[in-house]
Amino acid sequence: MKKIIAREKLPELWKSLSELGPLFLPVQEGPVVLFQPWQEGAETNLDTTNTAVPPKDLFLPREETYMQYRCKGKELEVIPAEEVKPAVLFGVHPCDLYAVEMLDKVYMEQDPPDELYKKRRENTTIVALSCASPDPFCFCNDFDVNPAEAPGTDVMAQLKNGSVLLEAKTDKGKALLEQAGDLLEDGSGEEFARREVKTADFNLKLDGLPEDLKNRFEDPVWDELFKSCLGCGVCTYVCPTCYCFDVEDFGHEAGGERFRCWDSCMYGHFTEMAGGHNPRPGRKERVRQRFMHKLRYYPETFGQIACVGCGRCLRSCPVNLDIVQAIQALGGETVEQR
Amino acid sequence: MAERNLDSVKKIREAVSQDLLGGRISQVLGWEKGHYWWQSRPLFARSEADLEKLTWDSFCVINLSRYLLEELKDHEKVGVLVKGCDARAFNRLLQDNMVKREQVILYGLPCPGMLDYNRLCEEAGAVPDGIVENNGTVVLKTDGGEKEVQREDIMLDKCRECVYPDPAAYDQMLLSPQGEREAAERFKPVEELEELPADERFAYWEKELSRCLRCYACRQACPFCSCRECFVEQENPRWQGRAYQPSENFMFHLVRAYHGTGRCIDCGECERSCPVDIPLQELNRKLIKDINELYGDYEAGLDAEAEPPLLTYRPDDPAAFSEK
Amino acid sequence: MSAALNDNTAGWEPLIVSFCCNWCSYAGGDLAGTSRMTYPANVKVIRVPCSGRINPMFVLRAFQRGADGVLVAGCHPGDCHYTSGNYQSRRRLSAFKRLVEFAGFEPERFEVRWISSSEGDKFAEEMTEMTEKIKALGPNGKMRDARWQSVI
Repeated sequence: MKKIIAREKLPELWKSLSELGPLFLPVQEGPVVLFQPWQEGAETNLDTTNTAVPPKDLFLPREETYMQYRCKGKELEVIPAEEVKPAVLFGVHPCDLYAVEMLDKVYMEQDPPDELYKKRRENTTIVALSCASPDPFCFCNDFDVNPAEAPGTDVMAQLKNGSVLLEAKTDKGKALLEQAGDLLEDGSGEEFARREVKTADFNLKLDGLPEDLKNRFEDPVWDELFKSCLGCGVCTYVCPTCYCFDVEDFGHEAGGERFRCWDSCMYGHFTEMAGGHNPRPGRKERVRQRFMHKLRYYPETFGQIACVGCGRCLRSCPVNLDIVQAIQALGGETVEQR
Repeated sequence: MAERNLDSVKKIREAVSQDLLGGRISQVLGWEKGHYWWQSRPLFARSEADLEKLTWDSFCVINLSRYLLEELKDHEKVGVLVKGCDARAFNRLLQDNMVKREQVILYGLPCPGMLDYNRLCEEAGAVPDGIVENNGTVVLKTDGGEKEVQREDIMLDKCRECVYPDPAAYDQMLLSPQGEREAAERFKPVEELEELPADERFAYWEKELSRCLRCYACRQACPFCSCRECFVEQENPRWQGRAYQPSENFMFHLVRAYHGTGRCIDCGECERSCPVDIPLQELNRKLIKDINELYGDYEAGLDAEAEPPLLTYRPDDPAAFSEK
Repeated sequence: MSAALNDNTAGWEPLIVSFCCNWCSYAGGDLAGTSRMTYPANVKVIRVPCSGRINPMFVLRAFQRGADGVLVAGCHPGDCHYTSGNYQSRRRLSAFKRLVEFAGFEPERFEVRWISSSEGDKFAEEMTEMTEKIKALGPNGKMRDARWQSVI
């Protein structure tokens, strides 16, 4: 099913969709663009290449309550987490959607799956937007991502001559387009423009890298690579394939809650044990962990490198230490010497 | 890259290689090019080959002094290239007893101000292929042609507002000084906020801080945040909750800024490092402004001997409470 | 502190947290008591060794957990039992007061007063005045942790 709508009519579409549940799309928030729930008058920005933070927080919120408790005398009341409402994610780029599929493997395709994640994921209809003009930090071509296409989406969208062409790819997507009713015009005669989108290509040597890294835990590369790292968590929080969280309690005798929130392997307390021992005591161990996770541990378990080339770490790391530098350092020199 | 710069790089390399290869120091902290021409990243040079990579251009924005905290654990003595703000950062660390003066050789680099990638793109209307720097102007080269702009217009905000581009501390000054810049209106955004009614100001901060990811880049990049254990990580008492509640955002940002009272060198690395562009310098500058008003002008990091205002007092000090 | 959390709904009464220096202001409070002076029960006193002990995080934590106003009370400048504690806190808390106002708190929410051990009357007056001012201002929602509100 194909539909088409003029760009200037999009706010009407968003209004109608947002009445059914929260509609997340790229919104200009001060100086940055972030996925935010649409509201009347929101300054949307579909032309941005990548939002400052990926939309992973739709499925893995920065903070998420497991359950709350209230205590009155000897009576204990346990309140389960709120029901997840159906939501729409509009305008996500293919790279970010590939990343969501990587998170799916971790959270949904396990036994048992993570129920909270699963609910949010299943309750969300995704409208992917093909990416026409990548910014210079994008390097998804290195990972064979075609920025113009997103196979896993419910609806595929493309900006085309002042209109948006939408095609339902799943039943969920079809239902969404049907909900929009007359706002959308029939687009069955329209074709998606075929696009070969070129991003930066660092010509990374990825074949065999996960295998190669098996014996390189003590590689001297790590002794040098970490040095510029400040030990902040920018790279992990802006990374669409990073998914670590921490479980915390909050409250006192009368009531409180258990919740989870984002955590970063770049922090000292991430691996700190109750007795004070820390198996990753310094920046070297933490930098190694992060890159090893992307390039070796994740591929070992799930068969692919945990990077989609969205370029956020290249753009946001305060000291320009990013995954490209890591791959180059690991693959550029040492491999060839062997 | 302009000729002028190639000369400078040569000069810098010569000076530091004498000390490095002569064994006076075992490492030099400088910059090398990153993936892009508009990025330079830290270089930890220990050999002649490393020094080949050393660069000095309009993108050497990263403050190197902060790395001393770690590098001096492994090295007896290191050299550091310091711009105006890097040198003030060094003085900050010195005053906090985090480094020893004799462990460091400072190579002073008067700073022309670093350029802002986003501004370059805005001015050029696209990502430029490269730039050529002239005296006071920059030519942006794009597919569509060339555009000459004032250098000042494409500088980072923090550099436009910088008053002291010349290093306040150095062992060798490697290039010719820039001279003090005109005092910019750095307190203007603070004054504008002060004019707002309290509720509006609160709403402003609540919105700005709501973007905070708690990545702590502002802290990690900051030369005044040199505590071995930050209040954020303290477990007992646990000051900083991990939740992304507005209340916790205020806790972190107010305390972070407050810990810089009389110590913040106004280098702007916090704001530059923020991935969601929270105007952190407004908080820092509010404190700088108030300290100046209440206890006399003080510019942190300019003079390592001058007593920081919160480490001293006068019996007749004024107070900001309604009872004096 | 959690036990003293107030209810924001009907019959609202402000909660004032007052950090009092052990040597002067706390003793001033004692004198007010032994002299049978009255001051509002809205004020909860927390004794600290010196006004110089006040970590600004104490103040923010009080606001997070339900305080409508915070009052720090210490010895008069020049009278510190540790020589310079209150001189130090005068500078620190002046900068801090301006900062919390900059963050959007009303100036009345955070105050500092010098009250000696002989000033029982002043103690009672200041506590009364602070309570009246906060009553006029209404409940404080700024920086209040919504999760604390909901469990009470």
